[in-house]
Amino acid sequence: MTEKRNIAIIGAGIAGQEAASVLAGLGYKVTLLEKQERMGGMLNKWSKLFPDFSSSQQILDTVQVSANKNLSVICNADISSITKENGRFELSDNSSLKVYADLVLLATGYNLFDATLKEEYGYGVFENVITSVDFEKVHKSGKKLTTLLGKEPRRVAIIHCVGSRDAKSGNTYCSKVCCITGVKQAIEVTRMWPDCEVFNFYMDLRLYGSKYDSLYLEAQKHHKVQFIRGRLSEISERQDKGLQLKAEDTLQGRPLRMNADIVILLVGMEACEQNADLCRNNTLDLDENRFFKSKNIHYARNISTQPGIFMAGSCICPMSVNETLESSRSAAFLVDKSFRSVQVEE
Amino acid sequence: MMKNSQVTVTKEIADDNYFYLRSCIRQNFFPGAEKVFLDILKNKLGKNIIDNANHISCTGIGYHSDIVPYETYQAMVARQFALMTEQGLKNAAVSCITSYGGYNEVMKTWKEFPEEEAKARKNLKNATGRRFEIPENISHSCDIIYKFRHDIAELAQYKLINKQTGKPLRIVDHIGCHYAKIFPEKGIGGAEQNTVLSAIVEAWGGQSVDYPERRHCCGFGFRHYLVKNNRSYSISNSKKKFESMEPYCPDMIITNCPGCNMFLDKWQYALAKIEGKTYSGDKNGIPVLSYEELAGLVLGYNPWDIGLQMHQVDVEPLLKKMRFDYNPDEKYLDAGGKFMGQPEFTGCLP
Amino acid sequence: MRTLMQRLGEDVRLKEGLHACMSCGICTAVCPAAEYFEYDPRSIVVTVQSGNEAKIRKLIESDTIWMCGQCMSCKPRCPRNNCPGLIISVLRRVSQETGAFVKSRLGRQQYLILKTIGTNILETGYCVFPASVVPETHPEQGDVWRWIYQNKEAVYERVGANLDKEGPGAMRKIDRENLNELERIFAESGGNSFFSTIVKFSRAYAKESGFTDADGEPDMEKYTDFLLNEDNDEK
Repeated sequence: MTEKRNIAIIGAGIAGQEAASVLAGLGYKVTLLEKQERMGGMLNKWSKLFPDFSSSQQILDTVQVSANKNLSVICNADISSITKENGRFELSDNSSLKVYADLVLLATGYNLFDATLKEEYGYGVFENVITSVDFEKVHKSGKKLTTLLGKEPRRVAIIHCVGSRDAKSGNTYCSKVCCITGVKQAIEVTRMWPDCEVFNFYMDLRLYGSKYDSLYLEAQKHHKVQFIRGRLSEISERQDKGLQLKAEDTLQGRPLRMNADIVILLVGMEACEQNADLCRNNTLDLDENRFFKSKNIHYARNISTQPGIFMAGSCICPMSVNETLESSRSAAFLVDKSFRSVQVEE
Repeated sequence: MMKNSQVTVTKEIADDNYFYLRSCIRQNFFPGAEKVFLDILKNKLGKNIIDNANHISCTGIGYHSDIVPYETYQAMVARQFALMTEQGLKNAAVSCITSYGGYNEVMKTWKEFPEEEAKARKNLKNATGRRFEIPENISHSCDIIYKFRHDIAELAQYKLINKQTGKPLRIVDHIGCHYAKIFPEKGIGGAEQNTVLSAIVEAWGGQSVDYPERRHCCGFGFRHYLVKNNRSYSISNSKKKFESMEPYCPDMIITNCPGCNMFLDKWQYALAKIEGKTYSGDKNGIPVLSYEELAGLVLGYNPWDIGLQMHQVDVEPLLKKMRFDYNPDEKYLDAGGKFMGQPEFTGCLP
Repeated sequence: MRTLMQRLGEDVRLKEGLHACMSCGICTAVCPAAEYFEYDPRSIVVTVQSGNEAKIRKLIESDTIWMCGQCMSCKPRCPRNNCPGLIISVLRRVSQETGAFVKSRLGRQQYLILKTIGTNILETGYCVFPASVVPETHPEQGDVWRWIYQNKEAVYERVGANLDKEGPGAMRKIDRENLNELERIFAESGGNSFFSTIVKFSRAYAKESGFTDADGEPDMEKYTDFLLNEDNDEK
């Protein structure tokens, strides 16, 4: 019976692809829609993954799907509307594309916080201020991180909570993966430059994963990474293009001024702007953080507020790679279960 | 260079028909700046601006040094608004940064807590019989110069060019804290990368120069300056700014706050007395001008008509760089052309 | 008797300034006073947030709350939209209303500010005016100011001001009718009683500390002298 059922998946990042291969494997007709030219989504921007420094490419290769009799892939399809008519969903982009499906799975992922909005950090103005994503790009290229002038950095500061837990940025939630990313990148910097001092400025170290605290320990013990509890207040540029940082060492209760050669801003995960478009003409809803709202955050995390539309991965909330893959399989299971319950009713 | 603000603050600045609200500190130390501002608006830009003799201090310095309670401050602000209302004017042009922050603070409170507005209305009415309407627009006078900076550039007789080198004058700015830190949306460019002064400088041919402590307070600190024993706080903060500017060799400092203008002028002198050094590479110090004074120079006003002889750090080296046509012999002549005597010395170091 | 927390809560500015603090330190990081004094606005916010009466009592009796320079640099940075500077204003108000301010050196200075700025406002309609900036007590104002001060009439006239004269213009004389309005506003809105409260507690403290005249009444001239010379090393 499954081959008669059409499922549309929006987003061919790792969440969309993993769900697609599970569902196609079960015999459903799956259409995977990707707005970019190629699949892989945000993970394409990453070099190595926490907590084991495995290559993100390996994950991309592992989840990679290819079209077969049950799976068609459409790239450059920026879906902006989902409507339901005569028991079927119609998905369309801004051109002439129309896709029909019995069920829809949202795997639209996340956006990165635009660090230029945090003006006091001078991203986009001071050239030695970069983001965690810029750092991944350097790492992926195989080059070493250098200052604007091509020099070896003597001190690098890594800033947590950029665009997260911040009413000024409009994002009051925790982006969850940044703390551990900061620990990972700190180690990576010291691996590039063993003599470089690395400071992490954090508010609360939220290292929730089972192996994350051991990475923290490793960073401190073997890489001499220093952790300062205090949120960075401002960055300014000195005449030599070096950076001046102001924070409070809250454990000492004293203000702290520090010079650094490079600052890495750990930019948070934000809901995609297009999410609001996808909520028009149906009963999909967004939560207070503009991610897709679950029917119940405990037992129906993957189920949206519109019957027939499911969700996978970081379009629900910020997630790591492993959580994303688990979320997709869970979504695929629920999609399958929902078809089966309909069959029973029939 | 903090030129292009990433977050665009679009703030409305009224076009004409202003009610001028003077600043205690600016009138006291730089009365010529207020004079030239009014003259530029009326006679160069053809605007209507009313200088009403009945307005009094907003008492903002008393408010921020905590002797004037907020209810009283609100009623004093209400009185300024009442004078505007009586004159049929809806646009305030505010000379003082403390007042500017204060008016915005009161307006914000009234918006969120209407009972506070009702109380202020009642206090004002019982005390004076006056009533007021909320102004449509509250702009600082630097906003108004900013708005007409290109018109001023067209009328300009001088550019902010060092004629000795042919290069733009290197100008650092200091934005008064209460201009945009309390309400970032009320200042051009917001709190972090404020552009109100740098845009003026660049429109008139100068080069706006960034420095690390650009956003740091001048150190007024209200009670820290008002009580003599506390003034080390004030001078220490100014020193921090001068040290930060020094490597960039600025030709001048531009400010938008009357207090900052005064402190950055006087503390250079006091620091020279204490430390025996200046931050300018010469004995004079770095001249400190407000946007009105700078507009006056660009438009070719006689520097002694607009009160530049009242600055401790001498402006003449700057005038010479600009090859400004002025008469140094008139610097200390009174309105009738009689010599008034002169300061024992100007600048910072003898 | 109202608790201190109730008193603080009655000021609308506490609602504006304190939402909830997560102790990130972003305010202390840029605070000019924190750089200069042993001072930490974050911990003040945490204390007020705790609602602990004993701790708040200690705070309003201490020098700490008087260290803030009211620059409000803390305001645009707070990720929770708090404003420590505004919370300080409320603490200072309650410290003065309850007389706690006389227990600290910096708090006692409110009497000096009242005598200068308060008097300036009520008597002239200005917070400052040329005659109030006496070169002897303002050496930092320099030689140019001394020259201006000594030649006030001529200098202000030369630059187009209207010093101490009728009509509009810079440093004009604020006429009696306007000053009467100012006085009535202060009377109506609580400004006068606030002034009286500061004087009342300062007089009591002066008396207690032995600054008295022949009749055993507070000698406020002696007290003022004491305040002017009271520095860090005192007591």
